[in-house]
Amino acid sequence: MAMNDKAPAKLSGQTMQVVSFALGSEEYGVDIAQVQEINRMVTITHVPRAPHFMEGVINLRGQLIPIIDLRTRFGMPRTEHTKNTRIVVTEIGTKRVGMVVDSVSEVLRIPTEQIEDAPDMIAGVETEYIRGVGKMGDRLIIMLDLGRVISGNEKHDLETLETEAVSA
Amino acid sequence: MSADDFFDRTEFIQYFRDETEELLQSIDSDLLRLEGFVDSGQIDAEIIASLFRGLHTIKGSAGMLDFKDVQGVAHKLENVCDLLRKDRMPLSESCVNLLFEGRDILTALVHAAVDEGVPPEGVQGFIDRLDSFASVYETTAKVIEGNNLPAAAGEHHDEMAPVEQDQIDAFEAEVARLLAAQNSEAPPAPVAEPPPDPQPVASGAVDAAAAQAAIDALLAPAPAAPAPQAAAPVAAPEPAPKPVPAAAPAASAAPAPAKAPAAGGGAKNQTIRVDIERLDMLLNLVGELVINRTRISDIANTLSRNVNDPNHHQDVVVPLAKDLADSSALLARTTNEIQESIMKVRMVPIGQVFDRFPRMVRDLAKARNKEIKLEIAGAETDLDKTIVDEVGEPLMHLVRNNVDHGIEEPDVREARGKPRAGTIKLNAYHEGNQVIIEVQDDGGGIQLDKVRERGIKQGLIGETDRLTDREIIELIFTPGFSTAETITDVSGRGVGMDVVKKNILRLKGVFDVDSVLGEGTKFTMKLPLTLAIIQALLVRVANELYSIPLDAVIESQRIETSDVRTVHGGEVITLRGQVVPLIRVGEFFDLSTERDPDKVMIVIVGLQGRQVGLVVDSFQGEQEIVIKPLSDVIGRIPGISGATILGNGSISLIIDVHSLVASAYANGRVARAEFSGV
Repeated sequence: MAMNDKAPAKLSGQTMQVVSFALGSEEYGVDIAQVQEINRMVTITHVPRAPHFMEGVINLRGQLIPIIDLRTRFGMPRTEHTKNTRIVVTEIGTKRVGMVVDSVSEVLRIPTEQIEDAPDMIAGVETEYIRGVGKMGDRLIIMLDLGRVISGNEKHDLETLETEAVSA
Repeated sequence: MSADDFFDRTEFIQYFRDETEELLQSIDSDLLRLEGFVDSGQIDAEIIASLFRGLHTIKGSAGMLDFKDVQGVAHKLENVCDLLRKDRMPLSESCVNLLFEGRDILTALVHAAVDEGVPPEGVQGFIDRLDSFASVYETTAKVIEGNNLPAAAGEHHDEMAPVEQDQIDAFEAEVARLLAAQNSEAPPAPVAEPPPDPQPVASGAVDAAAAQAAIDALLAPAPAAPAPQAAAPVAAPEPAPKPVPAAAPAASAAPAPAKAPAAGGGAKNQTIRVDIERLDMLLNLVGELVINRTRISDIANTLSRNVNDPNHHQDVVVPLAKDLADSSALLARTTNEIQESIMKVRMVPIGQVFDRFPRMVRDLAKARNKEIKLEIAGAETDLDKTIVDEVGEPLMHLVRNNVDHGIEEPDVREARGKPRAGTIKLNAYHEGNQVIIEVQDDGGGIQLDKVRERGIKQGLIGETDRLTDREIIELIFTPGFSTAETITDVSGRGVGMDVVKKNILRLKGVFDVDSVLGEGTKFTMKLPLTLAIIQALLVRVANELYSIPLDAVIESQRIETSDVRTVHGGEVITLRGQVVPLIRVGEFFDLSTERDPDKVMIVIVGLQGRQVGLVVDSFQGEQEIVIKPLSDVIGRIPGISGATILGNGSISLIIDVHSLVASAYANGRVARAEFSGV
């Protein structure tokens, strides 16, 4: 599945498997094919002067995985980590990135016709990271475009850093 | 491979590229050896056979992939080799030059084919020249044969048929080999083998001398010209005979997969050839691990069965403790050996890089009208693949520099009482944990006064600056230092030399220059064996552990805070009479650190003779660490080169001393830091 598809192909009768998780009062989802595993919170090693939403790196069985704090990424207030806090390790292309979320709810099967293009109506969350909204009864699942979550603004930050490095 | 891609070309092309690169390299060295026989006129049959095999394999593989240009040129070159092998053509300098040129064209064609780039120009011109060249000798041979054997014409045709069959056989063998290598059932694409169409040879009385004259006329273009020139008109005394594409492989040169001893030097080559012995050793060690695993799980089982039984303390638990200690010792030994073995697997001989220099020196020397011998020693010296890939460029600049500026013209050398031919020595050897590579010439040495003059002219140094010889030599490696207005003739000394310095530093190496005027110059570079595992000093900063590569560390010092002074607003200490500026690592990284009111912990690091003190919270000892890159999602961070995982599973970031200091200076962190005196 291409990562920057704005909306998944809508073939009637098909369903999409989605890992859903919570951030504040909102429910988000990512394509299950992009989720490698879900971990409890572990110690995150801070990486100084990294882009601000980069929480740091963790050691996942000998591999270094960069961690994004999704709250910070979406401009939401940070909260204390609880026993429900999870790290969702995703694989986007060849890149592996962990995302800190408030809690992971379940795996949902959402009929593709129930997924709508990203609306402008979701207040408070930057719509550029959203590839659609899935409706399950009266629940709304915000489908994330992970490719944009890990790049986007952060590209700008990196460029700033690189300019600094070059001038150094 | 998906079911749709019945014939997955990309995999074959990848294989073709790796293999061809190797073969082209070995063809190059064969040609260089062949060139050595020109004077004697004798031919070492083994060299020709090896050339032949290389060309033949390239031809076969290219044919399979339908790279017609590559196939065609390889075929023509093969013809020439065949003439040499059958003694129908004398070995001449022009012939070797033609083969060299053909090898370069073949290389360009292979690259164009593999990368789907634009094929090089002048291929047809070259083929025409090659044809004329071969045909002259074909004719000559024909005439001689004709004189000796009345039935020559008939025999010639008889000869053709088996050759054609040979080609087909050889091709089939090649296909089978490639398929086996791919372990794939995909059939090869249909290939149009250039059909040998034996043309009746126009017989004419062409004597050998005339033929040689014709050939020399054909080869008029300078031997070192990179691009083939337009085909010269054939100046044969008789009407030019048709090219005879006969002379294909004979049975003796069955296309056994050529085992070239040295792999290609292409930096893009991401595969590695491993000696099977090294793999076996690794396998043995893994076997020991597996045995040990069983042993440890036995101990664990016995222990858990008896854990609640105090009666068995003496007879069960005590021996178990001893068993466990043994197992643990064994585990430590085995993992150490595995670590060493796997590093060895990554090691490749430096010869892979050295191999490209004989040809380069030959061509450069010809172009500069110099006589140069290249002596190579220690080509079997192993070092890490990544370093071998990176070291090629700086070495090339050094060797070029030696040829351009080191070695004098033959007449000058003679006048100075030196042999006309200069010598460049490439040498590599291990010394402790390092590899030493030396590039030495017996040329004129560096003219310090002229370098100094240029340095002043370019504003790199002041007119009245007093520099040591060493500092003057350093100027050569300064970016922008150019002696285009000539220290010597061709290009300025220093061209590309800043690249040399930069690359060596990046490889965490050091270099040294010794030069004696009139006697020669010697560059010495010392490189680490591997970049993957290093010794590091662990330090604590703002409650995180950081690793500082030990090769940069000079010493660590605990200094009273009252001994820290400020100079121009920046903190410094005085260490054995030397003023050492300080950088507070925590503040550099914008971490919340508190300054100790009594003492400062300082790691003194050395950067090209300059000392800088890095202020940390505490020292945590030395350790061997395995470097892992930070994810590119995070990007490059000045001052951080990667991370490592420590024994307890926690992560320690590795400080890149070079970029940290450079960045701190650039941001004015060193000057801006305020004195926090008590």
